[in-house]
Amino acid sequence: MPNRNRIAYAFLAPYLLIFATFWLWPIINSFLISFQNTRVNPWQFSFASNWGRLFGDPAFYNALYNTLIILVIQVPVMIAIATVMAVMLNSPLLKARALFRFAFFAPVVVGEVAYAAVFRLMFNMDFGIINKMLNSIGLASVSWFADANAAMALLIIAVTWRWAGYNAIIILAGLQSIPEDVYEAATLDRVSKIRQFFYITLPLLKPIILFCVVLSVIGTMQLFTEPFLITNRGGPGGGTETLGLLLYRQGFTSLNFGYASAIAYAMTVLAVAISLLNLWLGRERQ
Amino acid sequence: MAEVSLKNVVKRFGVLEVIHGADLHVKDGEFVVFVGPSGCGKSTLLRMIAGLEDISGGEINIAGRAVNDVEPADRGIAMVFQSYALYPHMTVEENLSFGLRMNGNPKEDTERRVRGVADILQISELMKRRPKQLSGGQRQRVAIGRAIVREPQVFLFDEPLSNLDAELRVQMRVEISKLHKQLGTTMIYVTHDQTEAMTLADRIVVLRGGNIEQVGTPLELYDDPANQFVAGFVGSPKMNFIKARVVAGEGSSVRVALASDETKVLALPVAQAKPEPGAAVMLGVRPGHFRDAGQGDVDLTVTVDVAEHLGNTSYVYATLAGQEQLVIERPESRNGADSDTLSVALSTRNILLFDGNGQRLR
Amino acid sequence: MKSKSRSLFLRKLALHGLLVPLAIVWMFPLWMMLVFSTMPDHGIFSPDIELLPSGNFLTNFRNLQADTDFVGAMFISIVVAVTYTVLSVFLTSMAGWALARYRFHGRSMVVAIILGTITLPYFVVVIPQFIMVAREFGLANTWVALIVPPLFNSLGVLFMRQSFSMMPGELFDAARVEGVREWQIFLRIAMPLARPTIAALSIILFLASWNNYLWPLLINSRPGMMTAPVALGTLIGLTKVSWGGIMAGAVLLTAPMLAVFVFLQRHFIAGISAGAIK
Repeated sequence: MPNRNRIAYAFLAPYLLIFATFWLWPIINSFLISFQNTRVNPWQFSFASNWGRLFGDPAFYNALYNTLIILVIQVPVMIAIATVMAVMLNSPLLKARALFRFAFFAPVVVGEVAYAAVFRLMFNMDFGIINKMLNSIGLASVSWFADANAAMALLIIAVTWRWAGYNAIIILAGLQSIPEDVYEAATLDRVSKIRQFFYITLPLLKPIILFCVVLSVIGTMQLFTEPFLITNRGGPGGGTETLGLLLYRQGFTSLNFGYASAIAYAMTVLAVAISLLNLWLGRERQ
Repeated sequence: MAEVSLKNVVKRFGVLEVIHGADLHVKDGEFVVFVGPSGCGKSTLLRMIAGLEDISGGEINIAGRAVNDVEPADRGIAMVFQSYALYPHMTVEENLSFGLRMNGNPKEDTERRVRGVADILQISELMKRRPKQLSGGQRQRVAIGRAIVREPQVFLFDEPLSNLDAELRVQMRVEISKLHKQLGTTMIYVTHDQTEAMTLADRIVVLRGGNIEQVGTPLELYDDPANQFVAGFVGSPKMNFIKARVVAGEGSSVRVALASDETKVLALPVAQAKPEPGAAVMLGVRPGHFRDAGQGDVDLTVTVDVAEHLGNTSYVYATLAGQEQLVIERPESRNGADSDTLSVALSTRNILLFDGNGQRLR
Repeated sequence: MKSKSRSLFLRKLALHGLLVPLAIVWMFPLWMMLVFSTMPDHGIFSPDIELLPSGNFLTNFRNLQADTDFVGAMFISIVVAVTYTVLSVFLTSMAGWALARYRFHGRSMVVAIILGTITLPYFVVVIPQFIMVAREFGLANTWVALIVPPLFNSLGVLFMRQSFSMMPGELFDAARVEGVREWQIFLRIAMPLARPTIAALSIILFLASWNNYLWPLLINSRPGMMTAPVALGTLIGLTKVSWGGIMAGAVLLTAPMLAVFVFLQRHFIAGISAGAIK
């Protein structure tokens, strides 16, 4: 018999090579660097200068707090909106379906920089269209970039706008995989449309929605470009500094790779915890 | 032209052994059919001959050469698959020539061979179409054509007709038979359909549970099956099995009494190892071998459940003594309605005897 | 009958009554991007509400080109995205093919690695990746640095594996019996049959590369080697800059992708929803 091992490895080789060089080695290296003081030359082993510092660093706690706040508010809001979008797009009663799909899905293709720029202009405190519109209906301007809470709200709005459609696409695919006859049977059993949604659609969508939640949590946890560009490097005064931004600042502005690596691993612990939580939630349903 | 021989061939998937040491010799130019129920290992055995499954033990020879370590393409075989396995993105012509082109066969020769095959199979007018635009029968022809183009020493067929409807299956069966006569090449053919096996084969190999149960010509298997499984598998409708018990052995025969009615006793010839008196045995009677009452050795009265009328014959589905199901083939009679009971006779000349393990007693 | 058609009408009304405002809100930022890109800078920063485009796009574009070499950056972005897409489709297809169609030692380990990296935060990788590529290999501000490290793409492999494993195995066996080499089976049979999947994957990969910001920002920050998003990003936050120009750049970055989305919507949606169907 031909040696299938060799053939399989040949097909995998280029991919695994890239993995080993640009992923595996960095992941290990990152862990090693996190135990080194990288502000002296040559680097020296030191637990205190990174891991020790991490747990006593108010900047880290600030970033962690900001990240979790965004996470806890943004992800549920976005998934709820995405579910509503998907369910309505799936309705047979809908007219001009293509138009609505375009409206909701288009943000998915918009680059982070392009949309960050637009949101900065739209929410500009003095001349932004949003504040102008608020004023025109008699409301006061919001200090989107000067008030920390408003800035957080702005980030949440921006990220939700950008990613709700993405999740709606996934949820819509899930909806379309539910066989029509389930609903027909329910209709014959005199189950109202509203009840069908809560007792048939949602339970069947649960795995897909969980998948979306995990993807979104991991994505939002790494939030970087939005606070970097929209709220101007985590402003005001660190009010929107996220873990991703803190890591960027430590790693690539201060060039303190050791500390940045420790932050990265702290993020990994968070990600692993969330993945395990998902596994646990997924198991419960069987 | 080639012989194929299997010597103690074993196949294991991990710890699970699925072929338990198969021995077989296929003669040059012979048409051999592997038949058996699903999961019996017939397809696995064929794929081992093709080289698509590796051989866990034993040896396979094609044309006198051990091929255990030979690539499928170098074994001198061609294969026709159940799903036809036509390349969906290529035209018929490209499908036929793909293998030759990929192996650097000279262009003129490839074209000549493809034209020849198209003539043989009458698919010349389909050459520019894609598989999707063909009917089931046409696809089957192309699949066979793709095998012929290789000019192999051995053809392997893996249930090639099972995706066709009944009428087309009969038609293609005849064509494959003709093709074998025309080419004279060794062919090994896998099917689960005993009718296909009976009509096509020079010799049939019956498999069950990874073992070869019997090898023989269609009529040998029909008339002289080695065990109850082969007897039940070959022939349509299936052979009837009637429970009985040995009363006594006398000379070259044994006397058996029907389990349903011990007053009914038959003397059956048995030359070798005779069963002990009291042993449970099985009588095998083909549906067509029942006689009219009074014209055999023992008469039976059965309750008729259903009668199927096919015009020339009819099949009566009946119950013997409230427990044993029988199928009885009768010449069609057109006088009157079906009766509730029927009397038939058994003749010792047409009864096969099996012991408690299903082995034939001769 | 009458009550049924009436309730149907009410349901339609409720559906559209909710959806139309939501759609308008969702389209608003993109619409404003277009409007801003056509307004002169003094118009953007005026106290009036302007909701309709004017005719200043070309001037804005010229201002943008004066602020940074945006045309050059666009060129780099296009070359990178095309090269990356082609290479990545090949690499992920080959890996997906191996995982779908061969049994070999270490197969389950490779699958575990690929699944594991999906949930891994990119930031864990990016620091040492940067140290290695920029410092040890000295590849900062090169094409290789932009294209090669992101080639490891787990979702792509899973997507291709899924596609290949759904194809009937007899097709490949037939080719093997005909003496077609494994490499040729992959190229001549499997790849053409995977065309719809490849189309979907290509769009997703192209989009990801086109919009990629963090890695190009870190590794290629020298003027003249910046991708378009990075070049545009450097302008945001500067005090003396043409915002109309930035918006023109944003439109130029977004419009081609919107066109891709509109014309190849089916493949695009297939690519995104593939992640969820396991």
